[in-house]
Amino acid sequence: MSVPKSYLNRRAWETRLVNFALIVVCLFAVFPIFTTITISFKQQTDITRKPPIFFPCDTPEKSFEWSACRWAVEGYQRVIAPKPDENTLLGFKLTGNLIKTYIPNTIMYAFSSAIGVSLLASLSGFAFSRYRFKGHDALMTGIYAVTGIPLITNMLALYQMGITFRKNLPFYDDRLFLIFVYFGFFLPISVWITKGFFDAIPRELEESALIEGCSPLGAMFRITMPLAAPGLVSIFLMTFVNVWNEFIVAYLLVTKNDYKPAMFGLYDFLSQNIINLQVLAAACLIIAAPIIILFLFTRKTFFRAMVEGAVKG
Amino acid sequence: MQKNPSSFMKRFEIRKSLPFWLILPTIIVILIVQVYPAFYTMWLSLQERKGASWEYVGFENFERLVNAGLFPESIGHTVIFLIGYVVLTLSLGFMIAQLLKRNVPLTGLYVTILFIPWIIADIIAGLVFRLLVTPDYGLFSGILAERGISVLTDTRPTPLFGSFPFPPSPAMIYLILAATWRALPFITLLILASLQTIPHEVIESARIDGANGLQITNHITIPLILPTMVVALFNLILGGMNGVGMVFSLTGGGPGTATYVLSYFLYVLGWGQLRFGRAAALALMIAIVNWILIYLVLRVTRLQERER
Repeated sequence: MSVPKSYLNRRAWETRLVNFALIVVCLFAVFPIFTTITISFKQQTDITRKPPIFFPCDTPEKSFEWSACRWAVEGYQRVIAPKPDENTLLGFKLTGNLIKTYIPNTIMYAFSSAIGVSLLASLSGFAFSRYRFKGHDALMTGIYAVTGIPLITNMLALYQMGITFRKNLPFYDDRLFLIFVYFGFFLPISVWITKGFFDAIPRELEESALIEGCSPLGAMFRITMPLAAPGLVSIFLMTFVNVWNEFIVAYLLVTKNDYKPAMFGLYDFLSQNIINLQVLAAACLIIAAPIIILFLFTRKTFFRAMVEGAVKG
Repeated sequence: MQKNPSSFMKRFEIRKSLPFWLILPTIIVILIVQVYPAFYTMWLSLQERKGASWEYVGFENFERLVNAGLFPESIGHTVIFLIGYVVLTLSLGFMIAQLLKRNVPLTGLYVTILFIPWIIADIIAGLVFRLLVTPDYGLFSGILAERGISVLTDTRPTPLFGSFPFPPSPAMIYLILAATWRALPFITLLILASLQTIPHEVIESARIDGANGLQITNHITIPLILPTMVVALFNLILGGMNGVGMVFSLTGGGPGTATYVLSYFLYVLGWGQLRFGRAAALALMIAIVNWILIYLVLRVTRLQERER
């Protein structure tokens, strides 16, 4: 049982080196986010200082003094704009457009697109996985080829379509059209991924249900779908995050201020607050935080859909 | 069932047509949102706006587009962006994946932290990087200004080779860094997943035969993960060519036209100058390049599957 001591030493040093390198890489990864957080808590006077400082903690004598830090929440205040209101639970109301309108819109768009995409993708993914029919391979290849059309290419037509609909359809709603367009953008790759998930589930389970007298639809909903649920959840999450983070489609299709999603609102902020960096930083963090938290809790599910999607498409 | 053959036939027919009904909604959505627009773009590329209607102009749009000075310039910017972005991301991704593969304690934590940039929207990532170099007030602006660099306002240096925009402007280099920061986690994950499929015994036996680390990397690791690297490469090219959000929030195409990549140029042609015909011509060219790339990816993945 005697392992040479030098070998053990070498292993220990290697582990230390790898750890050190990974810590450095992690620091690089979070550095921009970290600076955004510090910027968001600065006062206007510290933002416009020349030369710029990392921490607003300097005194005339020392360059860094914990007790002298001038942290402020001005940036957040200007984004969420709380107004006192007797009638609400907390005694104030959030009147910032971002909190009041844009983020609820984003949640609505992301949620409905994710539900729709995972539902449609699971139905067609199931059909593509379980049935052989005329044009099966041609359709699959066609759906794959569609992913090759750049998003902004389609926007030319969809933009004109939106204009025509707005003029001619009395019940037209920017929001419905936007969600429909998101369906179309995120379905093709989701169909491919769900087909892969269904392929991994043994057919025998379903077949025995069919022999026992279950209808094909019954077998699908009672047997196969529950087994594929983890995969479908990852499709849901992937679409949710993609729609949450999407900018250009909404930017080109949404015309009413009330219907703007958060990314569009953020872009407006950029043009209005070119100097007020703390406001921009606070807005960025408020929009990104929910997604980062969601990611931290569900990262395994995420990785699954993303890797699957990349290898397939 | 034998007593009632018609109901059996009915059930049989429903069963036969079931896949059709399951697929139908998906196909309708894709036809409207993806296929129709593609054909519309082809039609639009041959038209020009005349008053309230469109007029057929043949290939004039393509001609004018190619003769516009911004077109070759944007191609140059796109090529430079893609080369920088792809080379940086692939090489850094490979190195980080090698580190993660060692599976030191805390690897799970490192992976989680490393992946945060990837979940952040491109428009937010662009904005976050913009905050660092905003003229005068950005955290790095002071340090860079001492060296005479202002990322967001310096126009590009005079090109060395004709009109090819090389050397790139500071804004372009910064854009490449920001895009790499965001794409790196995903590529690292891809490479890591592929590294983990290499059987340990292969590397071990090579080591016993006296191969050193570099030889193992060159002769065993890289050939074995090459297909994944190719998939990652095409993913990067497609994403880099079509992504436009980061240009929007980080540089807005500027300073001047220094970060006009093709997708941003397309946006400006269409919605900035309202020349939809010409934008459609450009969109068509980008789409064709995309299709060629995707076809190549398919070839590579098919080859990979056949080898297994």
